[in-house]
Amino acid sequence: MTSRALSLPRSTVVALTAVAVLAPVLLIFWQSFLNAPFFNPAHKFGLASYAFIFDDPDFWSALFNSVVIATGMAVIALPLGAALAFLLTRTDLPWQRTIEVLVLVPVFVSPMVLAFGYVVAMGPVGFYSLWAKDIVGDVPWNVYSLFSIAVIAGLTHVPHVYLYSSAALKSLGSDVEEAARVAGANPLQVALNVSLPMTMPALLYAAVLVFFLGFELFGLPLVLGDPEGHLVLATYLYKLTNKLGTPSYHLMAAVAVCIIAVTFPLVLLQRWLLKTAGKYVSVKGKATRQKMLPLGGWKWVALLVVALWLAFTIVVPISGIALRAFVEQWGEGIKLADVLTLENFRQVFDQSDQVRAVVNTFLIGTLGGALAVGCYAAIGLAGHRQHGAVARILDYLVLIPRAVPGLLAGLAFLWLFLFVPGLKELRNTIFSVWLAYSVVWLAYGLRLISGALLQIAPELEESARTVGAAPSRVLKDVTLPLIRFGLLASWLLVFMIFEREYSTGVYLLGQGTEVIGSMLVSLWGAGAIDQVAALSLINIGLVAAGLAVALRFGVRLHE
Amino acid sequence: MNKPGNPLVVENLHLQYGDNPILKGVSMTLEPGEVVALLGASGSGKTTLLRSVAGLEQPSRGRIAIGDAVLFDSAAGIDVPVEKRNLGLVFQSYALWPHRTVFENVAYGLRLRNVAAGEVGDRVTQALTNLGLGALADRLPHQLSGGQQQRVAIARALVYNPPVVLMDEPLSNLDAKLREEARAWLRELIVRLGLSALVVTHDQTEAMAMSDKILLLNFGQIEQQGTPEDMYNRPHTQFTAEFMGSNNRLPGTVTEIAADRALLEGDGFRLWGKPRGKIAVGDRATGIIRLERMRTARDPGENRIPAELVTAMFMGDRSEHLFKLGSLRLRGYGTDTHAAGAGFLELPPDDLWVFATPA
Repeated sequence: MTSRALSLPRSTVVALTAVAVLAPVLLIFWQSFLNAPFFNPAHKFGLASYAFIFDDPDFWSALFNSVVIATGMAVIALPLGAALAFLLTRTDLPWQRTIEVLVLVPVFVSPMVLAFGYVVAMGPVGFYSLWAKDIVGDVPWNVYSLFSIAVIAGLTHVPHVYLYSSAALKSLGSDVEEAARVAGANPLQVALNVSLPMTMPALLYAAVLVFFLGFELFGLPLVLGDPEGHLVLATYLYKLTNKLGTPSYHLMAAVAVCIIAVTFPLVLLQRWLLKTAGKYVSVKGKATRQKMLPLGGWKWVALLVVALWLAFTIVVPISGIALRAFVEQWGEGIKLADVLTLENFRQVFDQSDQVRAVVNTFLIGTLGGALAVGCYAAIGLAGHRQHGAVARILDYLVLIPRAVPGLLAGLAFLWLFLFVPGLKELRNTIFSVWLAYSVVWLAYGLRLISGALLQIAPELEESARTVGAAPSRVLKDVTLPLIRFGLLASWLLVFMIFEREYSTGVYLLGQGTEVIGSMLVSLWGAGAIDQVAALSLINIGLVAAGLAVALRFGVRLHE
Repeated sequence: MNKPGNPLVVENLHLQYGDNPILKGVSMTLEPGEVVALLGASGSGKTTLLRSVAGLEQPSRGRIAIGDAVLFDSAAGIDVPVEKRNLGLVFQSYALWPHRTVFENVAYGLRLRNVAAGEVGDRVTQALTNLGLGALADRLPHQLSGGQQQRVAIARALVYNPPVVLMDEPLSNLDAKLREEARAWLRELIVRLGLSALVVTHDQTEAMAMSDKILLLNFGQIEQQGTPEDMYNRPHTQFTAEFMGSNNRLPGTVTEIAADRALLEGDGFRLWGKPRGKIAVGDRATGIIRLERMRTARDPGENRIPAELVTAMFMGDRSEHLFKLGSLRLRGYGTDTHAAGAGFLELPPDDLWVFATPA
């Protein structure tokens, strides 16, 4: 459809989006060039903050650790994710349907919860560690080392690689593979000479994505890196809060700018890779039902490897949390039957702030999720069938929050609420957390919406126009009814993401703005392990409920 | 806003995507009760022209009007929105709304025009009956066959009596067998209801069968327009001649011009033909002759060339023969017994058009 005059609702949506996205980022940049927090009247412009952090050896070791962990994650997750995708889309591996669902669990469980799970399951006095000690006499691992952090992060990010490579493999027509078979290639040669090269753009994209996520990592290194003092950039920033004894916003802003300086180019690279990947789509063949490659006896080997991976990334941490939530204490020489209790949950429900955290988390997922999907839909529709300036502006606006990790976004929103007159009252309401969540997950939400909108052929709307419907009627009578299911599915996915989110709320945590995620970070810092375990389990329960509903309604768990 | 009984007039329409011109000054007229086919290869601009009339594309220059009602006029700054143009458009993909029943798909245009509920029921039922869909009103689009979907799309475009119905490749989504039947059915419907229709097609047979007038588009310009008979038998240009039928091409040079005749000489032949357009002695030229005008002969004679039969292809209602003359390959229709014994091909001078090759 041709773009004519920009309508008022459309320009309003674009303007509001621009403010919500740009204001926090600009605030971070501005603050980073001050030599004191912005609310301090004595602040002056200058590069003092940068000079300070560049002079701090901790900054450099955090940067080094971030690079090591991000690289390690990509190296571990890429081959495993690609192999998993091949096994699940191209071979007769048993129980594929079940595995396909289980694979996605690490994506929806909060990394903070997972990290805590590894501590209580495999830490020096974790359940599995002590059982291992009973058998072999010593704990054969150390989850607090940099190497372990990279391995755990890598293994829990296998699903991200799996998602992109399986999508690429599914869209790859079987005819190109059959042509290779007919030409004389055996199954392994087909995989290596045809399937792998043709899915290379997707794999490359996944590699960059995992590296990028590694750079943003906060929960895992916060929990696992603490005992041995391994800092990454995000935890370095978090610890800076108290470094000088006073709020050192200017230093945090400088670190934030350094992180964005790495993540933003990575986001641009991902975008570019996604575009170039498109040219392979055009050469894809017909997607016909194809014969699955028989693995023969190897299928049990493959199944064992997949089961080991699932055990390590899902069973071990979650069982650890589940156990820890129901025991009074745990350590050497304690018998499980003696310490079983419901006391931890009673404690949670005795504390008004923790009750509020549970209620708020539920509300921010349900009501907040619906509201966020409403906003995403408004933005998606504002850019729908627009090819001019509007679409391009929205396109780039969406990229910005992607490059800002949740922790920084939460910090920026805190400043925004402190800084902008009139917003102060909202700072202590759950609205502040909701706004930060919605902006942080803007790109994800819009991808869900545009996925739904892409299903609508333009002719369906054009035909309504020719029959005599004005654009607003087309929206009401054709577009919205057709994306209704897509919107509901988006709501469920946004619910799970909002339940899982933890880092964005960290700096916004206050009376009235408690959510489980930020509460976990705060309780962990205070050493309240019992309540962390109970809240973690409640959090897992909320996510699991969302997952169950999504599966029940056949929602695709990824775009 | 516009009533039946007025012609649709398109004047000097220009349209481009970026720097890429799609329409380069197209003018045409569609009289009431007439069917005009927009014919052309892909990329010729035929669908863009149709969508411009509908208001789905925005031309850069030109004028579109139905009688006094101006739909688009770049000079006057008029661009009536799609929904106010009151036209019917049948999409190539039919574009039925999957969430509405057949009845609701057809009724939508009437509801938008605030027609009373009872009248909506009557008119939709009438339209569905007209199109042989009476029993399917409560079905959803995905429960219909391709042919039925096409009829619903047509009913939806007709039900509010638009002055002109626009159709974008209405038959191309049907199976080859079904297409021929649908063509006859559609032509009958148009005649029976007295519709004015603008039909886009890339198939010259379809264009000739369905329309009163054909507009042949070539790279955004009208190559030639006229009745189907005109277009087929009296092409002005080589492009039109080649587009409208199955032909043999004989490249050569004009060596002599007599009254209404040109002598074309080429590799192994020397034939008199009928000059089309400006042509002079010494020009490079191409002879074009329809396959069905080729004759076989046993003996040499006027406008006959010796040719060797390469192979015969049985097509059911006739056979197609392939002849060889030096590097030339010539095809013709006929019976096998005739062709087998023939040593010569006759190309009647009236049927061999000679077009000068543009320098």
